[in-house]
Amino acid sequence: MNSPSTILYFTSSFPDHKTLYGFIEKVDPEVVKYVEVGFPSSDPRYDGPEIRETHEIAEKNFHNGHLEQYAEILGKKGVRTYLLTYYRDLARQSSDFIPHLGDSGFSGVIVPDLLVDYSSIAADVIGEIQDSIDFIPFFNPATPDGVIERISGMTESWIYYGLQPATGIHIPYDLEEVSRRILDLLPGREVNFGFGIRSMDQIGKIMDLGSKGVAIGTLLVPMVRENRLQDFVALQRQIGEVQDHVKG
Amino acid sequence: MFKYYTMMVDYMLSTQKNDLIPEKWYNVVPDLPEQLPPPLDNEKNKSSIELLNSILPREVLKQEFTFQRFLKIPDEVREIYEQTGRPTPLVRARGLEKYLDYSGKILYKYEGATITGSHKINTAVPQAIYAANEGVEKVVTETGAGQWGTATSVAASFAGIKAKVFMVRISYQQKPLRKKIMQLYGGEVSPSPSDETEFGRSMLKQNPDHPGSLGIGIGEAVEYALDHNLRYLVGSVFNSVLTHQSIIGLETEKQLEIMGTEPDVLIGCVGGGSNFGGFSFPLMKKFKDVEVIASTAAEVPKFTKGEYKYDYVDTARILPSVKMFSLGADFMPEKIYAGGLRYHGAAPSLSMLVNTGRIKTVDENQESVIDALKIFSRTQGIVAAPESGHAIATAIDYIRRHKDEKKTVVVNVSGHGLLDMSIFRDEQ
Repeated sequence: MNSPSTILYFTSSFPDHKTLYGFIEKVDPEVVKYVEVGFPSSDPRYDGPEIRETHEIAEKNFHNGHLEQYAEILGKKGVRTYLLTYYRDLARQSSDFIPHLGDSGFSGVIVPDLLVDYSSIAADVIGEIQDSIDFIPFFNPATPDGVIERISGMTESWIYYGLQPATGIHIPYDLEEVSRRILDLLPGREVNFGFGIRSMDQIGKIMDLGSKGVAIGTLLVPMVRENRLQDFVALQRQIGEVQDHVKG
Repeated sequence: MFKYYTMMVDYMLSTQKNDLIPEKWYNVVPDLPEQLPPPLDNEKNKSSIELLNSILPREVLKQEFTFQRFLKIPDEVREIYEQTGRPTPLVRARGLEKYLDYSGKILYKYEGATITGSHKINTAVPQAIYAANEGVEKVVTETGAGQWGTATSVAASFAGIKAKVFMVRISYQQKPLRKKIMQLYGGEVSPSPSDETEFGRSMLKQNPDHPGSLGIGIGEAVEYALDHNLRYLVGSVFNSVLTHQSIIGLETEKQLEIMGTEPDVLIGCVGGGSNFGGFSFPLMKKFKDVEVIASTAAEVPKFTKGEYKYDYVDTARILPSVKMFSLGADFMPEKIYAGGLRYHGAAPSLSMLVNTGRIKTVDENQESVIDALKIFSRTQGIVAAPESGHAIATAIDYIRRHKDEKKTVVVNVSGHGLLDMSIFRDEQ
C-alpha cells in the first residue's frame, strides 16, 4: 500500500530565525517526512512572488548557523532535512560548505536552476555533491525525457517533480497526466510532487495517484509570516487525515 | 519516380487528401536536448506568468506548459484546417533545379496556398476555437505586416466570435489592402499606438506620429484583453504556437514518405520562429541527421549579433520574459519589406537549438532576398512573401555552394507575397 508523506518548505530565517525555529519545533514527524530549507537568494528566479518575498526578508536575517539548528532539531524528530539552494548561491560558498552540511545533519541538496541554467556543468556538480550528501534531482513538465533519464541514472535519491513552472501559480494542467508521466518514466523510484499545491483536495488527489509525497511551501508563507503556530499545527493534522485516508 | 508524383497528385486532388492532415500536433519540448528555461516574472512582487491565466485561452495555456509530445487536434479544428486549404502542397521545384543546374532535388512546402496566404492560420484557428469554447465573444491581438491579423480575423469569424486587431501604425497607413481584408473578415482594426489603451496613449504622448512597433502592439493588445476580459491570441514565439504550426512539418513528413524521399537539408525563415519550428521540428525528430538552417534578415540579426538571454517579449513588459536570442526588447529594426521578420527575439525552443549548434543560421540582406524572389517567381511561378524570400535566398546560396552533392533540400515557403508587391517597385 502506498504510504504517502509530506514535505514542508520554509525559507531559512524567514521572517526571523526565532519565529521559524518555533515552527520547526512544531513539525509533526507522524505527518512530515522531509523538510526543505531554502537558502536565501537575491535572485530566486524560479519561485513565485510569495516565496520571492520571503527570500528578500530572509537574506537580511540569515546566518549559516541557523541551518545547523534547524537540521539538529529535525534530526531529533527523525525528519530529514534538505537544503534548497540556487546554484548561483551555492557556487559562492566555500568548498567545505556541502561536506559541512552533511556533518550538520542535512541529508541532501535540491538545486532548482542547475539543469536549466548550468546544464553543461551539471554532471560535475552532482558528482561533487554526492561525495558528501544526496543530490535530489528537480524536474518539471518542461524537463525533456532524455534529461530525466540521464540525471536520474546518476543519482539514487528521491525525485522532486514540480507541477508548475514556478511555485504558487496556477497554470492549468491535467494532474493525472502530469503525474503519470514521471511515475511511468521512473518506475519504482520515490517521486515527490511540489510547486503550486494549495488545497487538501489536491494533496489527496496527488497521493491517490501514487505519489510518495507532496511538498507544500507557498501555503505556509502567510502562517509563518504572521506567526500563526496553531494554524500550522492544525494544517499538519488535516494533512495527516488526508494521508490516513489515502493509506486506507 | 513518376509513380510517386502520380500518387502525390492523387492525394492532392482526391478526398484522400485529408489523410495528410495529421490527427495530432507535435510538441518539441520533451525531445529537447536540455531543459527549456521557464518564463520569468518581470517584477519581484507580481506574477506575469499568473497573468497569462487571465488573457490566454485555457487550453492554449495548458499546451504552453505541457510535457505531452503529441496533442490531439480537435475534430472541429481539423475540419476547419481542410477549409483553409490544408494540406498545403509539397512541390518539387523543377524550374529552380533547372535554373541552378542542380542534380539534387529542391522541394518546397507552400504555406502560401492557405486561404489567408500564410502559415499564420494554422494557429489562429485552434486559438480562436478554444477561446470561443470558453464563451468569450471577442479575441484581441496585434499585427505587424498584417498576416497574423488577417488570420486572426478569419479564424474568429469561423469560430463565430469577433476579433480586435491592433495594427502597427506604419503598416496601417502603408498597407490599406491588408486592413481591408481584415475588415472584410469581420476584424475591427485600430492603428497602434492607439488612444484605446493607457500604454498606447503614453506612446502617442511621447510622439503623436509614432510609427508603432510589434512590441507596442502586443502591449496594447494584452492591456485591452485585460481591461475588457477578452482572450489574447498569440502569433508566434510561444511553445503552443510552434506546436500548432507543427502541422507544416507533419504534413511534409507524410508527403516525403509518399514521394519516397528523405530530406538532407531543411531551410526556413525566422521572425518569431513559428513557421520555422513548425516546419523543422517534426522533421528533425524523424530524420536525426538532417541539416537545418534558419534564415533571418541581416537587418534583424538576432542570432548572429543578439544574445542568448532572458528578455522581454513585448515592449510594454507585461508578458513574462523568456530565454531567447534577442537584440533587446527596445531594438528598433530598419524598415524592411519583410515586416514579419522585424521581431527582436525568437522562440525559446528554437533559440536553444541554435545555441547548442543543432540549427545553423544565416543572415540574408534585402537585396539578395529580392533577387531570390525574382528567380523563384520566374522559375516556379510563385510570388513568395518577402519573409519567405529569405529562406529561398538561403536555399539558392546553399545549392550553389553544394552543387555536386545531389542533396534533397526542402524549403518552407511560409506565405505568398501578392500583397507585398511594393517590394518590386524599383525593379524592371
